[in-house]
Amino acid sequence: MQMGDSSAAPGTSLNYGGRGAKAASSPAENYQLARRRTLQVVVSALLTESGFESAEKAAVETLTEMMQSYITEIGRCAKTYCEHTARSVPTLSDTVVTLIEMGFNVDTLPVYAKRSQRMVITAPPVTNAPVTPKSLSAGQKRTHPSHIPCHFPEFPDPHTYIKTPTFREPVSDYQVVREKAATQRRDVERALTRFMAKTGETQSLFKDDVSAFPLIAARPSAIPYLSALLPSELELQSLEETDSSEQDDQTDSENAAGNVINDDPSADKENSVLPPSGVVPSAKVSEDNVIDNPYLRPVKKPKVRRKK
Amino acid sequence: MLMTLTLQQQAAKMNRKKDKGFESPRPFKLTHQVVCINNINFQRKSVIGYVELTIFPTVVNLNRIKLNSKQCRIYRVRVNELEAPFIYNDPTLEVCHSESKQRNLNYFSSAYTAAVSAVDPDAGNGELVIKVPSELWKQGDDLKVLKVYIEFSLDQPKGGLHFVVPDVEGSMAERGAHVFSFGYQNSTRFWFPCVDSYSELCTWKLEFTVDASMVAVSCGDLMETIYTHDMRKKTFHYVLPIPTAAPNISLAVGPFEILVDPYMHEVTHFCLPQLLPLLKHSMSYLHEIFEFYEEILTCRYPYSCFKTVFVDEAYVQVSSYASMSIFSTNLLHSPTIIDQTPQTRRCLAQALAQQFFGCFISRMSWADEWVLKGISGYIYGLYLKKTFGVNEYRHWIKEELDRIVVYELKMGGVLLHPTFIGGKEKDNPTPHLHFSIKHPHTLSWEYFRMFQCKAHLVMRLIENRISMEFMLQVFNKLLSLASTASSQKYQSHMWSQMLLSTHAFLKSISNVSGKDIGPLIKQWVRDQSGVVKFFGSFAFNRKRNVLELEIRQDYTSSGTQKYVGPIKVTVQELDGSFNHTLQIEENSLKHDIPCHSKSRRNKKKKIPLMNGEEVDMDLSAMDADSPLLWIRIDPDMSILRKVEFEQADFMWQYQLRYERDVVAQEEAITALEKFPTPASRLALTDILEQEQCFYKVRMQACFCLAKIANAMVSTWQGPPAMKSLFTRMFCCKSCPNIVRTNNFINFQSYFLQKTMPVAMALLRDVQNLCPKDVLNFILDLIKYNDNRKNKFSDNYYRAELIEALTNALTPAISINNEVRTVENLNPDVRLILEEITRFLNMEKLLPSFRNTITVSCLKAIRQLQKNGHIPSDPSLFRAYAEYGHFVDVRLSALEALVDYTTVERSSTDLQWLLDLVQSDPVHYVRHKVLGMLSRNPPFTKAADSGLCTEALVDQLWRLMNSGTAHEWRLRCDAVNLYYTLFGLTRPSCLPLPELGLVLNLKEKKAVLNPTIKPEQGTSVAMETPASIGVHGVGMSYSAVDEEPDPVSLGVCGVGQPPQGLKRKAETPLGSPPEPGQILQHTDDDGRPGRYKIRFNPMEDEDIDMETVHDSQAFIHHHLNLLERPSTPGKEPPLAEQTLPSMSAAPVAPFSKDAASLSSKHGGDHAHHHHHHHHEHKKKKKKHKHKHKHKHKHDSKDRDRENPYAFSNSPASGRSLRSPSLSD
Repeated sequence: MQMGDSSAAPGTSLNYGGRGAKAASSPAENYQLARRRTLQVVVSALLTESGFESAEKAAVETLTEMMQSYITEIGRCAKTYCEHTARSVPTLSDTVVTLIEMGFNVDTLPVYAKRSQRMVITAPPVTNAPVTPKSLSAGQKRTHPSHIPCHFPEFPDPHTYIKTPTFREPVSDYQVVREKAATQRRDVERALTRFMAKTGETQSLFKDDVSAFPLIAARPSAIPYLSALLPSELELQSLEETDSSEQDDQTDSENAAGNVINDDPSADKENSVLPPSGVVPSAKVSEDNVIDNPYLRPVKKPKVRRKK
Repeated sequence: MLMTLTLQQQAAKMNRKKDKGFESPRPFKLTHQVVCINNINFQRKSVIGYVELTIFPTVVNLNRIKLNSKQCRIYRVRVNELEAPFIYNDPTLEVCHSESKQRNLNYFSSAYTAAVSAVDPDAGNGELVIKVPSELWKQGDDLKVLKVYIEFSLDQPKGGLHFVVPDVEGSMAERGAHVFSFGYQNSTRFWFPCVDSYSELCTWKLEFTVDASMVAVSCGDLMETIYTHDMRKKTFHYVLPIPTAAPNISLAVGPFEILVDPYMHEVTHFCLPQLLPLLKHSMSYLHEIFEFYEEILTCRYPYSCFKTVFVDEAYVQVSSYASMSIFSTNLLHSPTIIDQTPQTRRCLAQALAQQFFGCFISRMSWADEWVLKGISGYIYGLYLKKTFGVNEYRHWIKEELDRIVVYELKMGGVLLHPTFIGGKEKDNPTPHLHFSIKHPHTLSWEYFRMFQCKAHLVMRLIENRISMEFMLQVFNKLLSLASTASSQKYQSHMWSQMLLSTHAFLKSISNVSGKDIGPLIKQWVRDQSGVVKFFGSFAFNRKRNVLELEIRQDYTSSGTQKYVGPIKVTVQELDGSFNHTLQIEENSLKHDIPCHSKSRRNKKKKIPLMNGEEVDMDLSAMDADSPLLWIRIDPDMSILRKVEFEQADFMWQYQLRYERDVVAQEEAITALEKFPTPASRLALTDILEQEQCFYKVRMQACFCLAKIANAMVSTWQGPPAMKSLFTRMFCCKSCPNIVRTNNFINFQSYFLQKTMPVAMALLRDVQNLCPKDVLNFILDLIKYNDNRKNKFSDNYYRAELIEALTNALTPAISINNEVRTVENLNPDVRLILEEITRFLNMEKLLPSFRNTITVSCLKAIRQLQKNGHIPSDPSLFRAYAEYGHFVDVRLSALEALVDYTTVERSSTDLQWLLDLVQSDPVHYVRHKVLGMLSRNPPFTKAADSGLCTEALVDQLWRLMNSGTAHEWRLRCDAVNLYYTLFGLTRPSCLPLPELGLVLNLKEKKAVLNPTIKPEQGTSVAMETPASIGVHGVGMSYSAVDEEPDPVSLGVCGVGQPPQGLKRKAETPLGSPPEPGQILQHTDDDGRPGRYKIRFNPMEDEDIDMETVHDSQAFIHHHLNLLERPSTPGKEPPLAEQTLPSMSAAPVAPFSKDAASLSSKHGGDHAHHHHHHHHEHKKKKKKHKHKHKHKHKHDSKDRDRENPYAFSNSPASGRSLRSPSLSD
């Protein structure tokens, strides 16, 4: 016991002393420190009970840790059982079920509790349980309306569910709108290109200040014509928009042809030869089903006996 | 004497030829050819296949067949199942001997022409000579069909076929790898053995086995597609039943997307993966072009199908082949693109026009090319007129006319129909050119383009003369004749109806129209080149009420010719417009034209115009005494001319405002540049605002206005020119400084909106800076540019705005060449630079169509450098010039690099560019770089430059001598550059030729050692005469003069057995294989019984061939030798020596080959050597004529005092086949 105590004490001081002094200001930490210390005493007592003369502090520490884990697990499980049955405070039966679940023989517990060589441990020093900080309440909480029983939880703070639309008179002055759009776009473009230049390789026009006017480095691509010829997604999108918005006043064939581009390029070859709707004379349309083009014919299987 | 006789005979023969139609230069007629390509390996870029030609001998005892083949490795040749020996010799691989020290262009040009002649199929020659096994030709008189079967392969072809294999992950199909045939004129020999002539027609069977994921597109009808047994490949079987010349055969293989034309199901379009939407849009109007041509020609499209293929890295934008055309993929565009649309349509129309004239109807000889180019260009013009309107058409004609005028005045005349009656270099009809126009493959590209331009303009002149109706009737007649002929089975003469000659064309014209266009043809086509240069001025004689018009001509400067004949003059008077036809005669300069209008008392009266319209004019500006409003000379452009006409500024202004012809308006604008007055300004501004006016005129007016404003800078009133106009047209009503959001639905205003800022940026204030207003205005345009509501892309517009910024740049105030730093950047320039940086960076994230923005930005950056705002540095351009960027971007960067090289005289960059020319994968880029260097040369022959070094001379010489042997166009480009840099004679930076060399030469002659390295001697013999003019090396001259022939001839004949004999085997230098020449040869040889009429060049070899006993050994030997042509460029000398080793060359130079030679060959050598001597004896007789002949030339040359003529004389050319002194 002596040994146990002496070995435990330095362990405690080692583990907590340094920090304890510093952390004394925090009540939560103080609280935990006290509990832990008690647990250590319990472990030491148990060791003494089992006949140990002394123990290394590391061993005591490990055992404490195990003990703590065990108790924590019991607590957690018991709480889960209790919540499972829609209660908020665990009862004895919850704890018992938990112990059983963990493989502990509950029947042996009373006997063990009444053993003779049992050491009495002083209660842990009373420290204030840590206070969980209250959430900041803002505004007046709403009271329950009459149809909701009063034992139901209170409404949360109003700011969590009330929406406050911000609204300002839209700027209708054309000049300002254009100015704004132009500036905004320019700023976005500049920021974007700067970012790209910063994050990638660059080329510079000046030798003295490489960062002035950074140019994103030219990078050759394997198939350069694709990006140069195909309209970008953005253009396609805007094309679609203008098409739909201007459909009424645009009757020229250019526009009709414009829709072609939205066709799925991977469409079936048979379908792909179908002309854009409405452009082709109807006589042709009927013929479309019987297009005889040698490139559309199926590839023949080789003859069994190959010539040549 | 004999020579004269021969010439007469030849002339007689020519005449007969004209009457009888086409006569083949070959002793056989090709009727059918099979091309089968079994394997195309994209990884290795190689091709394996065979061809089988069915030929009908037209002579008994056909013992040799000459075919064209370049860079193909030939494995075996069989004639009717019998192994046949063959010889492969291509003198164009290395034009001049590689170790020759000769460096003057005259020498090269004549040697190159000779080399091309030596393999010219139109003269019956070819690189590949096959000996018909004796079993076959000894069979007797019955002319039996021969089947010539040739197995060949191609490895990494440098010409003829182009592989595009993008370096990405995936299978070849996923990578978009493709291959296609290309070439300038007849270049089919680069990818399979054939008779590579436009005049040898036959039917075709084409088979291509390609990967199952690929499509092979070729000429003719696709009969079937069959899987191979392993199902991993498929074979495309094409049949082309219409007789077609080999140069019109093409192939494209790739993972193409297929689009059947929705309007014409026999038309199929092919494009690379992912581009199908663009293809659909771009091809949506092709049927209209079809309809148009079929209608005007009243003739159906001659082939049963048509295919368009769009490929990357195309050689040219458009190339037409029988029933298919290959286009650059960059012509495809989405419907949002405005500017590309008319260009693509034009390209399609060109391609289709060439289908009729060029592919279906082929040409009889090179001299007839102008007819085909002319007709296809002419009907293309008709299409332009119909589709884009008369204004566009007339504008185009003026543009083309101006182009040809500028070119001819600068470079000398373009001759459409060259005739080489004498067949001698001396008779070169274009002595002003540094290349020969005898072959398409020796022409400079620019010349060829001008040739095409002139051809269609001349067709238009013919139309003016005989009316369009007759013109179209003629075309219809030619086409119907051809289609009748095409449907015939092979008969000896029918197919030649599909060949068009100048003669047949003219005959058809006279038959149809009954008019004699002889003088017109004489003036513009035959024998005469050049344009007419008129200077006009006038005076009004009030008393007589007569307009005294003086028209002078300059016909003495280069590129001009004298015009005699009618000319139309249109005079706009107060009472109306009157046409007068004046007669331009020898000595009459003045022409009196009576005026109709007496006075202009009645001011209120409307003035009638040419088109019947009557308009009110403010006549206050005009001269009160004269009723003349304006005068136009040759308004219909019915002469190929340049007119410089003098009339008062107000007359030009009236012409601009009221003349309805766009050409007149454009002429007026050009003239007004010289009259910077408020009245001119007003006239231009009015035109700018007038919406009925043709948009291109308005665009031109912008630039003129800018020039006038600059000239009037001290007196200019009001805001900068065009600013208020632009504001009124394109800016918001409420806030005039903000441009409206883009809406390009009206194309005319779109083009104007694009152009005006560019022109405005050219304005300068008194300090010669771009006015602050203008710069801010342009910056605002960029800032407020908003394309969100536009259904068209604004990429071209933005590119033009960048160009406007570029134009606004003026040279930086430089203080003693300080280093350009960011700190001392001018604040205005900083703004410009910021915009450019942002644009260039944005392009990386959102690329614009054809990367137009990047192209403009690169130009702008170069301009910033050039004006000293930012440090001049080529590294950025080098990065953009690399392979892997879009081609337009590369070209823009290269343009900047070329400019940098010129301005900074940087030899490293010049070297970099030349390396690119040698190694770049894209032929088009290589061609363009050489073109740019020629246009903007780092130095010229006139000026000394540190860049002009011996190494550079050698490098360029090598480039044109052997480095570009597989690409005609590039070689001609290299020749052009060489000419620009060094001129015709020996480059000045080379050390003077040693004086003692002549003496050495004589010593050498005495040594009589044929194994001595002959090149030095040759070069002296060849070079001294030519260099006389330049260096004035009197001593060498006298030495040569003393005994000119024996020296040069001797050296050439013996001093260099390999080359000498090689030349002999080809068509001899300087003696093109005209029939007359051949007759002479035959006579001389005293072997009249032989039929070798057009076989002359191989005659000497004849015996060599016969002495090849063991054909197997022969083939074996050749397979070894033929390794070399397939890796051209590296060892061309050895490849060339193939032939000598067969005939008479000593074994010494072939140490490598010696091992592989069998003992039999050793025997052959001895034999050959003997023969060689024998031959020389025979030739000695002939030499006498030559000698005389030569002197004749010499004297003529001296008479003319043409320093260049010497190299054209027999001393340089003919000598090579002359007898040797060693005998």
